[in-house]
Amino acid sequence: MLITITTKYLYNVRKALLAVVVASLMAFNSGAQTQNPEFKVKAVFLYNFSRFVEWPAEVFTNATDPFVIGVYGENKFGTSLEEAVKGEKIDQHPIIVKYFTAASEVINCNILYVSSSNKEEIKEVITNVGSKSILTVGDSPVFPKFGGMIRFFTQDDKIRFQINDEAAKAARLKISSKLLSVAQIF
Amino acid sequence: MITSAVVLLLMCTAYMVYEYYSFKEIEEKNISILGSVIAANSSAALAFDSPKDANEILNALKTNPHIVSACLYDEDGKIFSTYPLNKTRSTFPQAVLGNGYSFYDNYLEGFQPVMQNEKQLGTLYIKSDLDSMHDQLRHFALIGLILIAGALIIAYLLSNILQKTISQPILELEQLAKVVSMKRDFSVRAHKQGNDEVGALTDAFNQMLAQIETQNQEITTFNLQLENKVTERTLALQQQRDFVETIINSSVDLVAVFDKDLNYIMLNKHADDFYSIKRSEIIGKNILDVFPQTKESGMYSDLKKALNGETVHNLRYKSLILNRYFESFYIPLKDSKNNIYGVLTIAHDITQIMEASEKLEKINDELIKSNRDLEQFAYVASHDLQEPLRKIQTFTQLLGDNFNSKEQLHKYQEKIGMAALRMQNLIQDVLNFSRISKSEDAFVDNDLNAILDSLKVDYELLIRERNVTIINSTLPVIKGITLQLSQLFSNLINNSIKYSSKDPVIEITANKLSETEIKSFIALNPDKSYYKIVFKDNGIGFEPKFSEQIFNIFQRLHGKQTYSGTGIGLALCKKIVENHHGIIYAEGEPGIGATFSIILPA
Repeated sequence: MLITITTKYLYNVRKALLAVVVASLMAFNSGAQTQNPEFKVKAVFLYNFSRFVEWPAEVFTNATDPFVIGVYGENKFGTSLEEAVKGEKIDQHPIIVKYFTAASEVINCNILYVSSSNKEEIKEVITNVGSKSILTVGDSPVFPKFGGMIRFFTQDDKIRFQINDEAAKAARLKISSKLLSVAQIF
Repeated sequence: MITSAVVLLLMCTAYMVYEYYSFKEIEEKNISILGSVIAANSSAALAFDSPKDANEILNALKTNPHIVSACLYDEDGKIFSTYPLNKTRSTFPQAVLGNGYSFYDNYLEGFQPVMQNEKQLGTLYIKSDLDSMHDQLRHFALIGLILIAGALIIAYLLSNILQKTISQPILELEQLAKVVSMKRDFSVRAHKQGNDEVGALTDAFNQMLAQIETQNQEITTFNLQLENKVTERTLALQQQRDFVETIINSSVDLVAVFDKDLNYIMLNKHADDFYSIKRSEIIGKNILDVFPQTKESGMYSDLKKALNGETVHNLRYKSLILNRYFESFYIPLKDSKNNIYGVLTIAHDITQIMEASEKLEKINDELIKSNRDLEQFAYVASHDLQEPLRKIQTFTQLLGDNFNSKEQLHKYQEKIGMAALRMQNLIQDVLNFSRISKSEDAFVDNDLNAILDSLKVDYELLIRERNVTIINSTLPVIKGITLQLSQLFSNLINNSIKYSSKDPVIEITANKLSETEIKSFIALNPDKSYYKIVFKDNGIGFEPKFSEQIFNIFQRLHGKQTYSGTGIGLALCKKIVENHHGIIYAEGEPGIGATFSIILPA
């Protein structure tokens, strides 16, 4: 079932087509720990968000400062994120991926994926982020409710997302109307 | 009108062409802009794998009815979304083919990258028909045509109005000028329509017409007078001419006038009586073309002399044209400046006089000859005929003197008898000779072989006595008098027998004369044919200097004692041959023999 879904949508998603197919087959065959196709898509989406969101200039002190995509909590992406951002740049900022385990660590990044469904944990991370210009992304249905900016969800076998534009605006992030147009507004 | 229509049409066409290209450019720009908007809008749909959103964005294209189809390709070049939604995907280009737009098969199509923050997320493909462009061009064409039509109508109306005021009077003038030149009617006048320039032109035209009309009338009157005068003069000249012509034609002489090149200018009526060619066919032609035989004639040289200014009077001229005799005048004709422009020839026919004169001359010649013959005859006769008479006288006298001697008497009597016989022979021969001179018997065919055979019979006794041999070839048949020809042969054979010292051999041969041989004898007529009969003997012959003399009457080369003869034989032969319009001549060598040749017409 899962394989069918991923195969279907991966067909349209950039990169990793072959990898996903192989991975899916492997998952089907062994059922063992492997890269999750759903997160492959999410990894790409995370990277793509960077193209549709405008960060305030003062976020970067140098033109060549890295653009950081952070993952808080359990890494469900495997190496997908690294693969998605490999060699990519935003303006002149090289994109790098960082993994955080403590909520207090999350301040130094531009996009933060909160890999937790724990309400308290989510609250803590978002509180920690505060008004910093960090685009917060999560999976929990309550994530936007607690001030998270983008939430992934599955609809008709496709990964879609919900956007809390108010929260983004509060963090001085300008989300492109185009991104909004393909998203569900919270 | 047509010119302006063509110009308008050309301008419209040029404008249309320009419009066509600018429309194409605009259309490409429009589609490109539309594509840019769609591409920009569809970046998120591509980035976040939302075909639904992409479909919606592409669906916005339906506001432009000319967009036939469109699609989005993802980053890998796979078709992501299509417009119209349900259009079969295989009808789209299966891969991204370049960048930019191009016109293809009445469509405008092209690819445009979908970018987001410098990142290409996919490609947009749009295909648009060119109906809008064509619509617009049609629209322009229609407007253009309407404009042209409108312009032409306005031009036509304007020219109509203008024609009434400007062209109309000029056209009328032109029409009137045509009428004048065609009908030569100068009495018409143009209608003046205003006091403008055209009015002035009309006045000038009318004035000109009036002048021409007056002049025309003057010319007509003058012409009429002139014509009358010419007619009068012509009539007078004609009368004068007729008078002169009548006089010239009445002339019994041949009157001809030649120009400087000796072409006949005039010939009087009398020429018709002479020439076989009509006068009308001779006039205008050169004398040498009409009568080429005159080229070497005296007439031609006389004409030339006259052309050099000499008046020639030819007392007697035998025409090569007519075979008649003329007394002719060649008078140079001179103009007032004394230049010779022709020759007047007047020829008076003297043929009758000439013929009479010729006849007289001929008779005269004959008389002279006859006279000479008579003189010779008289002289010879007085001598030869007297000789036997003298003998008789002498012997008669001797007879008287010697009456006693009977022997002597007998001797003298014999001598007297001999002389009388000789006298008789002489008189007989003289008679024969004179008879031949007068003979006018008719000519008949005579076979000379028969004549010779008959003679051989007559001389049979003599031939036997003198042992004569006559050898002859076949002889021809000759027209002549039989008796005379027989006499001729007889005399010649007799002659040969008589003057021989040994046994006589006479060879008689005959042959027809060739043309060259005939020509070598002046006395022969080259138009006739002749036979030559040769008598050759082995007799005593004669000195060549006597070849002419021997034919004279009573001419004897030898004494009577040696060879008997009257001296008339060969003279008779000559007479007979001349009677037959032939010639006779002799060749001889003393001691060898003589040859007598007779040439007679066949």
